[in-house]
Amino acid sequence: MENSGIIAGIVFQLGPLQVTNTVVTTWVIMGVIAVLGWLITRHLRMEPGPVQTAAEGVISAIEESIDAVAPGHMGHLLPFIGTLWLFLIIANLSGLIPGVHSPTRDLSATLALAILVFLSVHWFGIRTQGVKAYLHHYLRPSPIMLPFHIISEVTRTIALAVRLFGNIMSLEMTALLILLVAGFLAPIPILMLHIIEALVQAYIFGMLALIYVAGSVQSQQLTQQKHNEQIKE
Amino acid sequence: MNTAEKARTGDTILELNWSTFILEIINFLILIWILKHFFYKPVLDVIARRRAGIEKNMEDAQSLHSEAKALQKQYENRLAEWDHERQAAREALDKEIQVERERQMSVLQATLEEERGKNRFVAQRQLEASRLHSEKEALMQGAQFATKLLSAVSGPELEKRLIDLFLDELSSLPTEQLSKLQDTAGKSSNNILVTSAHPLDSNNRQSLERILHETIAVSGPVLYEQDKALLAGIRISIGAWILRANLLDELKGFTDFAHEI
Repeated sequence: MENSGIIAGIVFQLGPLQVTNTVVTTWVIMGVIAVLGWLITRHLRMEPGPVQTAAEGVISAIEESIDAVAPGHMGHLLPFIGTLWLFLIIANLSGLIPGVHSPTRDLSATLALAILVFLSVHWFGIRTQGVKAYLHHYLRPSPIMLPFHIISEVTRTIALAVRLFGNIMSLEMTALLILLVAGFLAPIPILMLHIIEALVQAYIFGMLALIYVAGSVQSQQLTQQKHNEQIKE
Repeated sequence: MNTAEKARTGDTILELNWSTFILEIINFLILIWILKHFFYKPVLDVIARRRAGIEKNMEDAQSLHSEAKALQKQYENRLAEWDHERQAAREALDKEIQVERERQMSVLQATLEEERGKNRFVAQRQLEASRLHSEKEALMQGAQFATKLLSAVSGPELEKRLIDLFLDELSSLPTEQLSKLQDTAGKSSNNILVTSAHPLDSNNRQSLERILHETIAVSGPVLYEQDKALLAGIRISIGAWILRANLLDELKGFTDFAHEI
Protein backbone atom coordinates (compact mmCIF):
# COMPACT_ATOMS: atom_id res chain seq x y z
CA MET A 1 0.00 0.00 0.00
CA GLU A 2 2.87 2.28 0.67
CA ASN A 3 4.14 1.86 -2.82
CA SER A 4 0.74 2.74 -4.20
CA GLY A 5 0.96 6.14 -2.54
CA ILE A 6 -2.43 5.97 -0.88
CA ILE A 7 -0.70 6.63 2.38
CA ALA A 8 1.39 9.78 2.33
CA GLY A 9 5.00 8.83 2.59
CA ILE A 10 7.75 10.94 4.07
CA VAL A 11 9.97 12.35 1.41
CA PHE A 12 12.53 13.95 3.66
CA GLN A 13 12.95 15.29 7.16
CA LEU A 14 13.39 19.01 7.78
CA GLY A 15 14.44 19.18 11.40
CA PRO A 16 11.47 18.10 13.44
CA LEU A 17 9.15 18.48 10.44
CA GLN A 18 8.46 15.49 8.23
CA VAL A 19 8.01 16.58 4.64
CA THR A 20 5.59 14.12 3.06
CA ASN A 21 4.75 13.72 -0.60
CA THR A 22 1.49 15.57 0.16
CA VAL A 23 3.48 18.64 1.08
CA VAL A 24 5.77 18.26 -1.90
CA THR A 25 2.78 17.95 -4.24
CA THR A 26 1.26 21.00 -2.61
CA TRP A 27 4.46 22.92 -3.23
CA VAL A 28 4.46 21.89 -6.84
CA ILE A 29 0.82 22.93 -7.19
CA MET A 30 1.62 26.21 -5.49
CA GLY A 31 4.48 26.72 -7.89
CA VAL A 32 2.33 25.94 -10.87
CA ILE A 33 -0.42 28.28 -9.69
CA ALA A 34 2.09 31.04 -8.94
CA VAL A 35 3.79 30.69 -12.32
CA LEU A 36 0.45 30.60 -14.14
CA GLY A 37 -0.74 33.64 -12.22
CA TRP A 38 2.46 35.48 -13.03
CA LEU A 39 2.31 34.53 -16.70
CA ILE A 40 -1.34 35.54 -17.00
CA THR A 41 -0.94 38.85 -15.21
CA ARG A 42 2.37 39.74 -16.82
CA HIS A 43 0.81 41.50 -19.82
CA LEU A 44 -2.67 42.44 -18.78
CA ARG A 45 -4.40 44.66 -21.31
CA MET A 46 -7.65 46.55 -21.50
CA GLU A 47 -8.52 44.50 -24.55
CA PRO A 48 -8.05 41.00 -23.18
CA GLY A 49 -6.81 37.99 -25.09
CA PRO A 50 -8.25 34.50 -24.67
CA VAL A 51 -6.14 33.62 -21.62
CA GLN A 52 -6.81 36.92 -19.88
CA THR A 53 -10.49 36.57 -20.72
CA ALA A 54 -10.51 33.12 -19.12
CA ALA A 55 -8.72 34.43 -16.03
CA GLU A 56 -11.11 37.35 -15.73
CA GLY A 57 -14.01 34.98 -16.25
CA VAL A 58 -12.81 32.76 -13.40
CA ILE A 59 -12.42 35.69 -11.04
CA SER A 60 -15.72 37.20 -12.11
CA ALA A 61 -17.46 33.89 -11.47
CA ILE A 62 -15.91 33.71 -7.99
CA GLU A 63 -16.91 37.32 -7.39
CA GLU A 64 -20.50 36.67 -8.39
CA SER A 65 -20.70 33.57 -6.19
CA ILE A 66 -19.35 35.42 -3.18
CA ASP A 67 -21.53 38.43 -3.85
CA ALA A 68 -24.59 36.20 -4.13
CA VAL A 69 -23.95 34.58 -0.74
CA ALA A 70 -22.32 37.46 1.15
CA PRO A 71 -23.22 40.75 -0.52
CA GLY A 72 -20.83 43.55 0.27
CA HIS A 73 -17.99 41.30 1.49
CA MET A 74 -16.54 40.26 -1.80
CA GLY A 75 -13.33 42.24 -1.30
CA HIS A 76 -12.55 40.53 2.03
CA LEU A 77 -13.56 37.02 1.10
CA LEU A 78 -12.26 36.74 -2.45
CA PRO A 79 -8.63 35.86 -1.65
CA PHE A 80 -9.51 33.11 0.79
CA ILE A 81 -12.51 31.59 -1.01
CA GLY A 82 -10.99 32.02 -4.45
CA THR A 83 -7.74 30.40 -3.38
CA LEU A 84 -9.65 27.54 -1.82
CA TRP A 85 -11.50 26.87 -5.06
CA LEU A 86 -8.48 27.21 -7.33
CA PHE A 87 -6.22 25.14 -5.08
CA LEU A 88 -8.79 22.39 -4.52
CA ILE A 89 -9.64 22.09 -8.22
CA ILE A 90 -6.00 21.70 -9.17
CA ALA A 91 -5.19 19.54 -6.12
CA ASN A 92 -8.13 17.21 -6.71
CA LEU A 93 -7.38 16.93 -10.45
CA SER A 94 -3.67 16.34 -9.84
CA GLY A 95 -4.50 12.76 -8.91
CA LEU A 96 -5.20 12.13 -12.58
CA ILE A 97 -1.53 12.58 -13.42
CA PRO A 98 0.24 9.23 -13.32
CA GLY A 99 2.58 8.97 -10.35
CA VAL A 100 1.07 12.02 -8.66
CA HIS A 101 -1.35 11.75 -5.78
CA SER A 102 -3.78 14.43 -4.83
CA PRO A 103 -2.85 16.24 -1.61
CA THR A 104 -6.54 16.14 -0.67
CA ARG A 105 -6.43 12.38 -0.31
CA ASP A 106 -4.44 13.08 2.88
CA LEU A 107 -6.56 13.79 5.95
CA SER A 108 -3.83 16.01 7.33
CA ALA A 109 -4.12 18.33 4.35
CA THR A 110 -7.95 18.41 4.30
CA LEU A 111 -8.03 18.91 8.05
CA ALA A 112 -5.57 21.76 7.66
CA LEU A 113 -7.87 23.38 5.13
CA ALA A 114 -10.93 22.73 7.31
CA ILE A 115 -9.14 24.28 10.30
CA LEU A 116 -8.31 27.28 8.14
CA VAL A 117 -12.00 27.57 7.25
CA PHE A 118 -12.90 27.23 10.92
CA LEU A 119 -10.45 29.97 11.87
CA SER A 120 -11.44 32.20 8.97
CA VAL A 121 -15.09 32.01 10.02
CA HIS A 122 -14.19 33.48 13.37
CA TRP A 123 -11.60 35.82 11.89
CA PHE A 124 -14.05 37.40 9.46
CA GLY A 125 -16.79 37.42 12.09
CA ILE A 126 -14.63 39.17 14.65
CA ARG A 127 -13.21 41.49 12.02
CA THR A 128 -16.68 42.50 10.99
CA GLN A 129 -18.26 43.03 14.39
CA GLY A 130 -15.65 42.76 17.06
CA VAL A 131 -14.83 39.99 19.56
CA LYS A 132 -17.58 40.65 22.08
CA ALA A 133 -20.39 41.10 19.62
CA TYR A 134 -19.25 38.11 17.63
CA LEU A 135 -18.98 35.77 20.59
CA HIS A 136 -22.30 37.03 21.82
CA HIS A 137 -24.08 35.35 18.94
CA TYR A 138 -23.20 31.94 20.43
CA LEU A 139 -25.57 32.82 23.22
CA ARG A 140 -28.45 33.47 20.87
CA PRO A 141 -31.26 32.78 20.92
CA SER A 142 -30.52 31.39 24.42
CA PRO A 143 -27.33 30.66 26.37
CA ILE A 144 -28.47 27.06 26.47
CA MET A 145 -27.61 26.87 22.80
CA LEU A 146 -23.90 27.54 23.48
CA PRO A 147 -22.86 23.85 23.68
CA PHE A 148 -24.79 23.08 20.55
CA HIS A 149 -23.15 25.95 18.73
CA ILE A 150 -19.73 24.71 19.80
CA ILE A 151 -20.52 21.14 18.79
CA SER A 152 -21.81 22.43 15.46
CA GLU A 153 -18.63 24.36 14.82
CA VAL A 154 -16.44 21.35 15.58
CA THR A 155 -18.50 18.78 13.73
CA ARG A 156 -18.95 20.79 10.60
CA THR A 157 -15.21 21.41 10.50
CA ILE A 158 -14.49 17.72 10.90
CA ALA A 159 -17.18 16.90 8.34
CA LEU A 160 -15.63 19.35 5.93
CA ALA A 161 -12.25 17.70 6.27
CA VAL A 162 -13.44 14.13 6.21
CA ARG A 163 -15.85 14.64 3.29
CA LEU A 164 -13.13 15.91 1.00
CA PHE A 165 -10.58 13.43 2.23
CA GLY A 166 -13.00 10.49 1.97
CA ASN A 167 -14.16 11.30 -1.53
CA ILE A 168 -10.77 11.91 -3.05
CA MET A 169 -9.09 9.05 -1.24
CA SER A 170 -11.88 6.67 -2.21
CA LEU A 171 -11.63 7.76 -5.84
CA GLU A 172 -7.94 7.00 -5.93
CA MET A 173 -8.45 3.77 -4.04
CA THR A 174 -11.17 2.67 -6.42
CA ALA A 175 -9.05 3.45 -9.44
CA LEU A 176 -6.16 1.51 -7.88
CA LEU A 177 -8.28 -1.52 -7.04
CA ILE A 178 -9.86 -1.62 -10.52
CA LEU A 179 -6.42 -1.31 -12.05
CA LEU A 180 -5.22 -4.25 -9.93
CA VAL A 181 -8.27 -6.38 -10.61
CA ALA A 182 -9.24 -5.53 -14.22
CA GLY A 183 -5.99 -4.40 -15.68
CA PHE A 184 -4.77 -1.58 -17.90
CA LEU A 185 -7.33 0.97 -19.31
CA ALA A 186 -10.12 -0.43 -17.15
CA PRO A 187 -10.04 2.47 -14.63
CA ILE A 188 -10.63 5.05 -17.38
CA PRO A 189 -14.37 5.47 -16.56
CA ILE A 190 -13.39 5.84 -12.95
CA LEU A 191 -10.87 8.51 -13.96
CA MET A 192 -13.62 10.36 -15.82
CA LEU A 193 -15.69 10.13 -12.68
CA HIS A 194 -12.63 11.39 -10.87
CA ILE A 195 -12.72 14.61 -12.93
CA ILE A 196 -16.37 15.25 -12.12
CA GLU A 197 -15.96 14.29 -8.50
CA ALA A 198 -12.85 16.45 -8.14
CA LEU A 199 -14.66 19.49 -9.47
CA VAL A 200 -17.78 18.78 -7.43
CA GLN A 201 -15.83 18.28 -4.22
CA ALA A 202 -13.82 21.42 -4.79
CA TYR A 203 -17.03 23.34 -5.38
CA ILE A 204 -18.70 21.82 -2.30
CA PHE A 205 -15.75 22.53 -0.04
CA GLY A 206 -15.38 26.11 -1.28
CA MET A 207 -19.11 26.81 -1.24
CA LEU A 208 -19.49 25.39 2.30
CA ALA A 209 -16.56 27.48 3.44
CA LEU A 210 -18.16 30.50 1.81
CA ILE A 211 -21.51 29.77 3.45
CA TYR A 212 -19.90 29.31 6.88
CA VAL A 213 -17.95 32.54 6.56
CA ALA A 214 -20.91 34.42 5.09
CA GLY A 215 -23.08 33.04 7.90
CA SER A 216 -20.77 34.41 10.52
CA VAL A 217 -20.55 37.78 8.79
CA GLN A 218 -24.25 38.09 8.08
CA SER A 219 -25.32 36.81 11.50
CA GLN A 220 -23.44 39.75 12.91
CA GLN A 221 -25.14 42.03 10.48
CA LEU A 222 -28.56 40.64 11.36
CA THR A 223 -27.76 41.04 15.04
CA GLN A 224 -26.66 44.58 14.43
CA GLN A 225 -29.78 45.33 12.42
CA LYS A 226 -32.00 43.99 15.16
CA HIS A 227 -30.00 45.96 17.72
CA ASN A 228 -30.39 49.14 15.66
CA GLU A 229 -34.10 48.54 15.26
CA GLN A 230 -34.42 48.10 19.04
CA ILE A 231 -32.55 51.36 19.61
CA LYS A 232 -34.82 53.16 17.17
CA GLU A 233 -37.90 51.77 18.90
CA MET B 1 7.10 2.54 12.14
CA ASN B 2 6.59 1.64 8.46
CA THR B 3 3.30 1.44 6.63
CA ALA B 4 2.79 -2.23 7.18
CA GLU B 5 3.23 -1.77 10.88
CA LYS B 6 0.82 1.14 10.81
CA ALA B 7 -1.72 -0.95 8.96
CA ARG B 8 -1.41 -3.67 11.53
CA THR B 9 -1.96 -1.25 14.36
CA GLY B 10 -4.87 0.39 12.49
CA ASP B 11 -2.98 3.69 12.34
CA THR B 12 -3.00 4.01 8.53
CA ILE B 13 -4.79 6.36 6.21
CA LEU B 14 -6.66 8.13 8.98
CA GLU B 15 -3.43 9.04 10.68
CA LEU B 16 -2.79 12.75 11.21
CA ASN B 17 0.66 13.95 10.38
CA TRP B 18 1.10 17.14 12.32
CA SER B 19 4.04 18.22 10.19
CA THR B 20 1.88 17.93 7.07
CA PHE B 21 -0.96 19.65 8.89
CA ILE B 22 1.19 22.63 9.88
CA LEU B 23 2.99 22.83 6.55
CA GLU B 24 -0.31 22.66 4.64
CA ILE B 25 -1.66 25.55 6.70
CA ILE B 26 1.47 27.56 6.01
CA ASN B 27 1.44 26.56 2.36
CA PHE B 28 -2.15 27.63 1.94
CA LEU B 29 -1.58 30.96 3.66
CA ILE B 30 1.40 31.56 1.39
CA LEU B 31 -0.69 30.59 -1.61
CA ILE B 32 -3.37 33.07 -0.56
CA TRP B 33 -0.72 35.78 -0.37
CA ILE B 34 0.76 34.86 -3.74
CA LEU B 35 -2.55 34.77 -5.53
CA LYS B 36 -3.76 37.91 -3.85
CA HIS B 37 -0.73 39.90 -4.94
CA PHE B 38 0.10 38.29 -8.26
CA PHE B 39 -3.25 37.21 -9.58
CA TYR B 40 -6.35 38.63 -7.95
CA LYS B 41 -5.14 42.17 -7.49
CA PRO B 42 -3.84 42.75 -11.06
CA VAL B 43 -6.82 41.10 -12.66
CA LEU B 44 -9.27 42.92 -10.43
CA ASP B 45 -7.47 46.18 -11.19
CA VAL B 46 -7.84 45.55 -14.89
CA ILE B 47 -11.50 44.65 -14.45
CA ALA B 48 -12.03 47.77 -12.34
CA ARG B 49 -10.29 49.93 -14.95
CA ARG B 50 -12.37 48.39 -17.67
CA ARG B 51 -15.54 48.87 -15.66
CA ALA B 52 -14.54 52.48 -15.05
CA GLY B 53 -13.92 52.87 -18.77
CA ILE B 54 -17.25 51.24 -19.55
CA GLU B 55 -19.00 53.47 -17.03
CA LYS B 56 -17.27 56.49 -18.53
CA ASN B 57 -18.33 55.35 -21.98
CA MET B 58 -21.82 54.81 -20.66
CA GLU B 59 -21.83 58.29 -19.16
CA ASP B 60 -20.51 59.69 -22.42
CA ALA B 61 -23.10 57.71 -24.30
CA GLN B 62 -25.75 58.94 -21.89
CA SER B 63 -24.54 62.48 -22.38
CA LEU B 64 -24.54 62.01 -26.13
CA HIS B 65 -27.95 60.46 -25.88
CA SER B 66 -29.20 63.46 -23.91
CA GLU B 67 -27.64 65.82 -26.44
CA ALA B 68 -29.14 63.81 -29.25
CA LYS B 69 -32.52 63.96 -27.52
CA ALA B 70 -32.18 67.71 -27.11
CA LEU B 71 -31.16 68.08 -30.75
CA GLN B 72 -34.01 65.84 -31.78
CA LYS B 73 -36.43 67.96 -29.79
CA GLN B 74 -34.91 71.09 -31.26
CA TYR B 75 -35.19 69.71 -34.76
CA GLU B 76 -38.72 68.58 -34.10
CA ASN B 77 -39.60 72.07 -32.92
CA ARG B 78 -37.90 73.50 -35.97
CA LEU B 79 -39.76 71.07 -38.19
CA ALA B 80 -42.99 72.05 -36.50
CA GLU B 81 -42.17 75.71 -37.11
CA TRP B 82 -41.31 74.92 -40.70
CA ASP B 83 -44.58 73.08 -41.05
CA HIS B 84 -46.41 76.04 -39.60
CA GLU B 85 -44.58 78.43 -41.91
CA ARG B 86 -45.20 76.18 -44.84
CA GLN B 87 -48.86 75.97 -43.95
CA ALA B 88 -49.04 79.76 -43.67
CA ALA B 89 -47.18 80.17 -46.95
CA ARG B 90 -49.47 77.69 -48.60
CA GLU B 91 -52.53 79.49 -47.29
CA ALA B 92 -51.11 82.81 -48.51
CA LEU B 93 -50.35 81.22 -51.86
CA ASP B 94 -53.85 79.78 -52.01
CA LYS B 95 -55.25 83.22 -51.33
CA GLU B 96 -53.03 84.75 -54.00
CA ILE B 97 -54.05 82.04 -56.42
CA GLN B 98 -57.70 82.64 -55.55
CA VAL B 99 -57.32 86.39 -56.09
CA GLU B 100 -55.42 85.84 -59.32
CA ARG B 101 -58.01 83.32 -60.45
CA GLU B 102 -60.81 85.75 -59.73
CA ARG B 103 -58.93 88.48 -61.58
CA GLN B 104 -58.23 86.19 -64.51
CA MET B 105 -61.85 85.09 -64.49
CA SER B 106 -63.07 88.66 -64.52
CA VAL B 107 -60.64 89.47 -67.34
CA LEU B 108 -61.79 86.38 -69.16
CA GLN B 109 -65.40 87.30 -68.51
CA ALA B 110 -64.79 90.78 -69.89
CA THR B 111 -62.98 89.33 -72.89
CA LEU B 112 -65.79 86.90 -73.42
CA GLU B 113 -68.34 89.70 -73.19
CA GLU B 114 -66.30 91.69 -75.67
CA GLU B 115 -66.03 88.72 -77.96
CA ARG B 116 -69.74 88.07 -77.55
CA GLY B 117 -70.41 91.71 -78.44
CA LYS B 118 -68.17 91.44 -81.45
CA ASN B 119 -69.82 88.21 -82.44
CA ARG B 120 -73.24 89.74 -81.96
CA PHE B 121 -72.18 92.72 -84.07
CA VAL B 122 -70.69 90.48 -86.73
CA ALA B 123 -73.79 88.32 -86.70
CA GLN B 124 -75.95 91.40 -86.91
CA ARG B 125 -73.83 92.67 -89.78
CA GLN B 126 -74.01 89.31 -91.45
CA LEU B 127 -77.76 89.26 -90.88
CA GLU B 128 -78.05 92.78 -92.23
CA ALA B 129 -75.87 91.89 -95.20
CA SER B 130 -77.92 88.81 -95.75
CA ARG B 131 -81.08 90.81 -95.49
CA LEU B 132 -79.71 93.42 -97.94
CA HIS B 133 -78.55 90.68 -100.22
CA SER B 134 -81.96 89.14 -100.07
CA GLU B 135 -83.55 92.49 -100.71
CA LYS B 136 -81.16 93.06 -103.61
CA GLU B 137 -81.91 89.64 -104.93
CA ALA B 138 -85.57 90.29 -104.49
CA LEU B 139 -85.30 93.60 -106.24
CA MET B 140 -83.26 92.09 -109.05
CA GLN B 141 -85.65 89.23 -109.36
CA GLY B 142 -88.53 91.67 -109.18
CA ALA B 143 -86.94 93.79 -111.84
CA GLN B 144 -86.29 90.78 -114.01
CA PHE B 145 -89.81 89.56 -113.42
CA ALA B 146 -91.25 92.99 -114.11
CA THR B 147 -89.07 93.30 -117.20
CA LYS B 148 -90.20 89.96 -118.46
CA LEU B 149 -93.80 90.69 -117.58
CA LEU B 150 -93.76 94.19 -119.00
CA SER B 151 -91.95 92.92 -122.11
CA ALA B 152 -94.83 90.59 -122.60
CA VAL B 153 -97.64 93.00 -121.85
CA SER B 154 -96.19 96.29 -123.14
CA GLY B 155 -97.62 97.82 -126.27
CA PRO B 156 -98.63 101.09 -127.93
CA GLU B 157 -101.43 101.59 -125.41
CA LEU B 158 -99.05 101.45 -122.53
CA GLU B 159 -96.68 103.68 -124.37
CA LYS B 160 -99.50 106.23 -125.00
CA ARG B 161 -100.38 106.17 -121.35
CA LEU B 162 -96.72 106.71 -120.42
CA ILE B 163 -96.53 109.61 -122.84
CA ASP B 164 -99.66 111.06 -121.29
CA LEU B 165 -98.17 110.60 -117.84
CA PHE B 166 -94.96 112.27 -119.04
CA LEU B 167 -96.81 115.20 -120.44
CA ASP B 168 -98.84 115.61 -117.22
CA GLU B 169 -95.77 115.47 -114.99
CA LEU B 170 -93.88 117.84 -117.23
CA SER B 171 -96.76 120.27 -117.00
CA SER B 172 -96.85 119.98 -113.23
CA LEU B 173 -93.15 120.46 -112.67
CA PRO B 174 -92.25 123.08 -110.09
CA THR B 175 -91.47 126.44 -111.53
CA GLU B 176 -87.93 126.47 -110.30
CA GLN B 177 -87.12 123.19 -111.98
CA LEU B 178 -89.00 124.17 -115.04
CA SER B 179 -87.04 127.43 -115.37
CA LYS B 180 -83.72 125.57 -115.00
CA LEU B 181 -84.88 123.17 -117.68
CA GLN B 182 -85.92 126.00 -119.92
CA ASP B 183 -82.55 127.75 -119.43
CA THR B 184 -80.61 124.63 -120.32
CA ALA B 185 -82.84 123.70 -123.29
CA GLY B 186 -82.95 127.28 -124.60
CA LYS B 187 -79.19 127.59 -124.67
CA SER B 188 -78.81 124.27 -126.44
CA SER B 189 -78.63 124.37 -130.19
CA ASN B 190 -78.78 120.61 -130.63
CA ASN B 191 -81.75 118.79 -131.95
CA ILE B 192 -84.29 117.21 -129.68
CA LEU B 193 -84.17 113.45 -129.94
CA VAL B 194 -87.27 111.50 -128.97
CA THR B 195 -86.68 107.76 -128.69
CA SER B 196 -89.69 105.47 -128.36
CA ALA B 197 -90.24 101.74 -128.15
CA HIS B 198 -93.01 101.86 -130.72
CA PRO B 199 -93.49 104.21 -133.63
CA LEU B 200 -95.28 107.34 -132.47
CA ASP B 201 -98.34 108.39 -134.33
CA SER B 202 -98.85 111.94 -135.46
CA ASN B 203 -101.11 112.83 -132.57
CA ASN B 204 -98.58 111.82 -130.07
CA ARG B 205 -95.84 113.58 -131.96
CA GLN B 206 -97.87 116.82 -132.21
CA SER B 207 -98.73 116.65 -128.54
CA LEU B 208 -95.09 116.13 -127.65
CA GLU B 209 -93.77 118.90 -129.87
CA ARG B 210 -96.43 121.28 -128.61
CA ILE B 211 -95.69 120.59 -124.98
CA LEU B 212 -91.96 120.78 -125.54
CA HIS B 213 -92.24 124.07 -127.36
CA GLU B 214 -94.65 125.57 -124.89
CA THR B 215 -93.35 124.33 -121.65
CA ILE B 216 -89.62 124.10 -122.16
CA ALA B 217 -89.47 126.60 -124.96
CA VAL B 218 -87.12 124.66 -127.22
CA SER B 219 -86.78 125.83 -130.77
CA GLY B 220 -84.82 123.12 -132.51
CA PRO B 221 -86.23 120.36 -134.67
CA VAL B 222 -87.52 117.19 -133.02
CA LEU B 223 -86.08 113.96 -134.30
CA TYR B 224 -87.69 110.57 -133.68
CA GLU B 225 -86.16 107.19 -133.49
CA GLN B 226 -87.32 103.80 -132.33
CA ASP B 227 -85.63 101.59 -129.68
CA LYS B 228 -87.50 98.45 -128.70
CA ALA B 229 -85.25 98.04 -125.65
CA LEU B 230 -87.32 100.77 -124.02
CA LEU B 231 -90.23 98.27 -123.93
CA ALA B 232 -92.74 101.11 -123.71
CA GLY B 233 -92.59 104.89 -123.37
CA ILE B 234 -90.18 107.54 -124.55
CA ARG B 235 -86.78 109.04 -123.86
CA ILE B 236 -86.19 112.69 -124.77
CA SER B 237 -82.63 113.93 -125.10
CA ILE B 238 -82.24 117.74 -125.00
CA GLY B 239 -78.52 118.52 -124.98
CA ALA B 240 -77.21 117.24 -121.72
CA TRP B 241 -80.71 116.68 -120.43
CA ILE B 242 -82.43 113.30 -120.82
CA LEU B 243 -86.08 113.03 -119.88
CA ARG B 244 -87.13 109.47 -119.30
CA ALA B 245 -90.65 108.12 -119.39
CA ASN B 246 -90.14 104.50 -120.40
CA LEU B 247 -90.19 101.09 -118.78
CA LEU B 248 -86.52 100.36 -119.51
CA ASP B 249 -85.28 103.33 -117.55
CA GLU B 250 -87.82 102.79 -114.78
CA LEU B 251 -86.73 99.16 -114.43
CA LYS B 252 -83.14 100.27 -114.64
CA GLY B 253 -83.89 102.63 -111.80
CA PHE B 254 -85.04 99.63 -109.77
CA THR B 255 -81.89 97.82 -110.66
CA ASP B 256 -79.71 100.76 -109.78
CA PHE B 257 -81.55 101.13 -106.52
CA ALA B 258 -80.86 97.49 -105.81
CA HIS B 259 -77.19 98.02 -106.61
CA GLU B 260 -77.09 101.07 -104.41
CA ILE B 261 -78.45 98.98 -101.59
